[in-house]
Amino acid sequence: MNGIIEARNLSFGYSPQAQILDNITFDVQPGAFLSIAGPNGAGKTTLLNLLCGLLTPTAGSVHVDGRAVDSYSARKLAQKIAVVRQEYIPVFDFTVAEVVSMARTPYMAPFGFESRTDRDAVDEALAATDSARFARRPIANLSGGERQRVFIARALAQNTPIMLLDEPTSFLDIKHQAKIYDLLKKTQLEKGKTIVAVTHDINLAAQYCDQIFLLRGGQPTAQNTAGGGQPSDNYYIGKTSEILSVELIEKVFGVKVFAGRIGQERFFLPWGEFSKDKSQDNH
Amino acid sequence: MADTLTARNLAKKVIVCLLVLLIAMGLCTLIGTQPISLQKVFAGPGELPGENVDYQILVGVRLPRIILAALVGAALASSGVVLQAILRNPLADPYILGISSGAGLGAIIAVLSGISWKLLGGSPISVFAFVGALGTVWLVWFIGRTAAGSQVTALLLAGVVVNAFFSAVIMFLTSIARSDQVLTTILWLMGNITEKAMSVLWLSAGCIVAGITALFAVSHRLNILTLGEEEAKGLGVNTARTKLVTFSIAAFITAIAVSLSGLIGFVGLIIPHGVRLVLGPDHRQLLPISAIIGGVFLVAADTIARIVVPPAQLPVGVITAIAGGPFFLVLLAKYSRKVSWLR
Repeated sequence: MNGIIEARNLSFGYSPQAQILDNITFDVQPGAFLSIAGPNGAGKTTLLNLLCGLLTPTAGSVHVDGRAVDSYSARKLAQKIAVVRQEYIPVFDFTVAEVVSMARTPYMAPFGFESRTDRDAVDEALAATDSARFARRPIANLSGGERQRVFIARALAQNTPIMLLDEPTSFLDIKHQAKIYDLLKKTQLEKGKTIVAVTHDINLAAQYCDQIFLLRGGQPTAQNTAGGGQPSDNYYIGKTSEILSVELIEKVFGVKVFAGRIGQERFFLPWGEFSKDKSQDNH
Repeated sequence: MADTLTARNLAKKVIVCLLVLLIAMGLCTLIGTQPISLQKVFAGPGELPGENVDYQILVGVRLPRIILAALVGAALASSGVVLQAILRNPLADPYILGISSGAGLGAIIAVLSGISWKLLGGSPISVFAFVGALGTVWLVWFIGRTAAGSQVTALLLAGVVVNAFFSAVIMFLTSIARSDQVLTTILWLMGNITEKAMSVLWLSAGCIVAGITALFAVSHRLNILTLGEEEAKGLGVNTARTKLVTFSIAAFITAIAVSLSGLIGFVGLIIPHGVRLVLGPDHRQLLPISAIIGGVFLVAADTIARIVVPPAQLPVGVITAIAGGPFFLVLLAKYSRKVSWLR
């Protein structure tokens, strides 16, 4: 028990018949960059919401920094974990600076205004995400990539040891995908933050994340429900380079996959029914 | 640095707006169908009652009424700010969750039953309207929460349905009432500021100012609530508690306003919008400035209502809608390019 996040025998379902996550146990080490990958509907976002205490597991527990996640007040938890959800547009017309400043709310007393420290944290986050130049613009006027950077800036300004991200690049083109993941990697390396990012892009995971949590989804097999805490074939966790293999990806995602390699980097392409070269050897 | 709001900056704006309010209130005491000599007023009330009529009119009649208008305007505008934030809906106003129909129902029951006692200086209509307003709001909140937990859509729907149901009951009761009772009810429903006893005024002033101060204390959390449930929790706001506290206070001061002056429309909707268009959506600023500007607006509207068709006095609700509508459209035209949800 020495992870900064510790999930033990975690299960969740909206009803006993429809179990989404079953008996999941893993640790996230301080300073790790972990991706949670898996097919649509496997429960990736649900798992993220369990880790940040938004959902309560039907069984099992989550500990953050040595304490049960549900024993934190909302305010104290927000000083440990910053969450970046899928990019969206707020109802009211806040500027970029205002949105990023909201990250300081967990540190504010009643009648709260930003202190010098708060302002510095906001400035630093805006600079780190290269969003200072549009700080005065309404957030609704930004492009998707810019907006996502602003939400990451907000998470940085929140000054937490842990950052959780839910599909931070799902609506972005490849350039902005790379920029966002560069930014996250930089944050991990320079600030020593623990980063957990949900993604269904296994190539980004392969490129950037030290560790991967591959969630298969679907009903658990009889064998692992009886096992109680044993590693199951429902999910796989470990070093990204060791976990990601053609066999496992094909098993988890249910699609034929072609794997390639450029130097140290590996990549995986789906190999659908209409893929042109049927004779291609699969490796 | 990116300029966000500072306490000093806000204090300046609040002081300027308060000065505007005081000047407006001062000017409006001088305006009326009866010309008044300030010299005579400053001479004091005199020995005998009725000796100095000018003093009597200004201090005894107009001033309490103007203070009342300022209080009601402030309560409705700040309550509008809070409901728009909690419901994350720019179209919300203080009446949206049933306060208006509940108060209306209370008022008409008071009129029909012909009760004539007073409670803390409040007329039966005021007392019944107050109870009706708070009762209904509690009912709507209870239904909304039971139906869907923290979903605001369920709350809005419950508000709409309860409003519609109670409105039907009000119409039924109106249709079986005597014509004088109908007139009293309709005037009340239109929103009407009349002179109140000083004791009522001070009590209400205390409650409304305390309520707005309490809302201001958590206004930085209102900002976060507008981002939605998940985001707000992630930013350290106990959403259930914050919503309950802010909503209760907003409902309470609205109920006071409504019991004092009937259903004055429009203030709670357009003042928050107007202020937001000009100053932006930060609630630490939006809330206090809206409260003060709401006061200014209603003081002005009530003065117009007093003098426009002498010797009769229009219900102030007529003026707020007639004057407020075009004024708001001007603001909208001027600032709408800045605001994304209008595009």
